[in-house]
Parts: sequence; C-alpha cells; structure tokens
Amino acid sequence: MLPMRPELLKGHLDALLLAVLEPGAQHGYAVIEALRSGSGGTLDLPTGTVYPALHRLERAGLIASDWHTVGGRRRRAYHLTPAGHQALGEHRALWDQFSAAVAAVLSGRPRPAST
Amino acid sequence: MSAQARADAYLGEIAARLHGPRRRRARILAELRDGLDQATADRITAGLPDEDAVITAIGRFGAPAAIADAFADELTIAYARQVLTWFVVTGPLVGVWWLLLLHPAPWRGSLAAFVAAIPVIPLVAAGLAATVITFATTGRMIRWLPEAGAHRAVAAVISVAGLVIVSDVTIVGVYLGSHAPATPVGIVAVAAAATRVGVSLIVVVRATGSQRGSG
Repeated sequence: MLPMRPELLKGHLDALLLAVLEPGAQHGYAVIEALRSGSGGTLDLPTGTVYPALHRLERAGLIASDWHTVGGRRRRAYHLTPAGHQALGEHRALWDQFSAAVAAVLSGRPRPAST
Repeated sequence: MSAQARADAYLGEIAARLHGPRRRRARILAELRDGLDQATADRITAGLPDEDAVITAIGRFGAPAAIADAFADELTIAYARQVLTWFVVTGPLVGVWWLLLLHPAPWRGSLAAFVAAIPVIPLVAAGLAATVITFATTGRMIRWLPEAGAHRAVAAVISVAGLVIVSDVTIVGVYLGSHAPATPVGIVAVAAAATRVGVSLIVVVRATGSQRGSG
C-alpha cells in the first residue's frame, strides 16, 4: 500500500470525523480507531490530529459532547448536531463532485463540462 | 516502573507542556487519559502483558511535546475568549461609575453630548467591536466566517486590553483634570479603573509573551 501523507487529508478531515460519528456517539479514541479500521488501516491518524479537530468541530457547533463515567473513568462522547448532519451532507455532495472531477482528469478521460 | 506509573508519567509530561485555562487543560487531560487507558486495555485484551500494552499505547499516542503542541492553538483561543469575556463583564461594572459621575445633564442628552462628557465612548465601542468579531471568528460562526487562528485571537486580546488601558487612563485624567470635589462615587470609579488598568497590563504582558513564544 502506498503511504498516505497527512497533508492529503487537509480539507477532508472534518468530513471524515462527521461521517464516523454519523451512526452514533463515540469517544475520541474510538473515533481514531474507527477511522483506521474503516479505511483498512490507511487513515491511521495521530492523537494530536484527531482530538483538536473534534474540539474545533464542537466549537463550530457541528458536534456536541457529553461527559459520563465508564469503569471509574471520565469519558467524553461526541455526537452529531443537526447542523453537523447537514454539513456532512454538504461535504458528501462536494466530495462526489470533486472526486469525480479528479478521477476524470487522472484517468485521461475528461468529463463533459457541467453548466 | 508499573504500567499505571508509566501512563501517569506520560500524561504528567503532557500536562507540564499545556498552557491555558485550567479547566480546559483538565478536560483535555481527562480525555487523553481515557483514550490511553482504552488503548492499553485493547492491547491487553489482544494478549500483550500490561507493561508492553501501555508502552505500545503511548507509542501510538505520540511524543508529549507533539501532543501538547497540537493543543496549543485551541488553548490559546480558549484563553483569548476567557480574557475578552472578562473585559465584557467588567466593562459595565467600571463604566457605571463614570456614567454616574460624568453624565451630561440632563440625562436625556444626545449621543454627541454623551461623547463630549465621556470622551472614551468611541474607544469602548471599538473594543466591543473587536471582541464581537473575535468571538464570531473563533466560535460557532466559523461555519460561515473566515476562522481566526490563535495569533489573531491573541492580537485581539492585546488590542482590547490596550484600548481598555487608554480608556481608563484617559477618563481618570479627565476626571482629575476637572478638579471636581472628591466624592465616594469618584473614589470608587478611580479605584475600579486603576484595578482594571493593572489587570489589563498583566494581560498585555502575558499575551505578548505567548505570541512571542509561539512565533
């Protein structure tokens, strides 16, 4: 497998985190593991990338968090807000458009221009 | 060293490198501890001995300096918002005394009369505008507005603190220069302004230091 450079994720991390949280609430470490397992190990992001990105999404109101106690430990679980669900839909539409355009150019078969 | 002691030492190294509001740091560390404990538990479940499990979990998390650096912007922005909130809250507490002392007579005077009597009103308005913009571009509005980074948030703190210092020193100068008789309200107003100038100077020094440190 070719190595995945972190800068390739720039601009897509928000969408990935929102997508991981779409099925239900998860804590930070579970989000990291879900990204890794969901991508077959390709998206093995460092802790220092994922936690601050989750906090930023919470500041933007796209996710919210609750603290609870699990096995004597304080745990913070994140879930999507209505605005987060809407933002994820927009990210998906943009990604479909973007990935189709890039794939067309890389494959050497240009798509017809959209109006 | 036991597995628990190793995890504690690792989190302690991160804690020593985090700078910002105390509650925010505590929440970050609690979250990291939970993640590290979970990562360790997963490895123990997979068959690793306790100590190897915590060592590999720590390796997966990364160097303490790198982790702390990753949270630096977030903590700086939290600090900036906390300080600006303090200025917004203390503004009326200090301003009300000057309003009682220097308001134009009669009270129903126009805005121009208020500005003439209390000449720092434009500075207060500028500080409020900078605060509102900073809150908007570091909070919920970042979905629609260009997001302000830590440097801009700190620059806003320095600017607002500077405006507060100039405003308070000016208004005290206007009052003392008027040779008005000393009244209890006047003494309270001067004391409140002097206190805020002192705190604002500390804010400027700290914020300037943090800007240099991260520059």
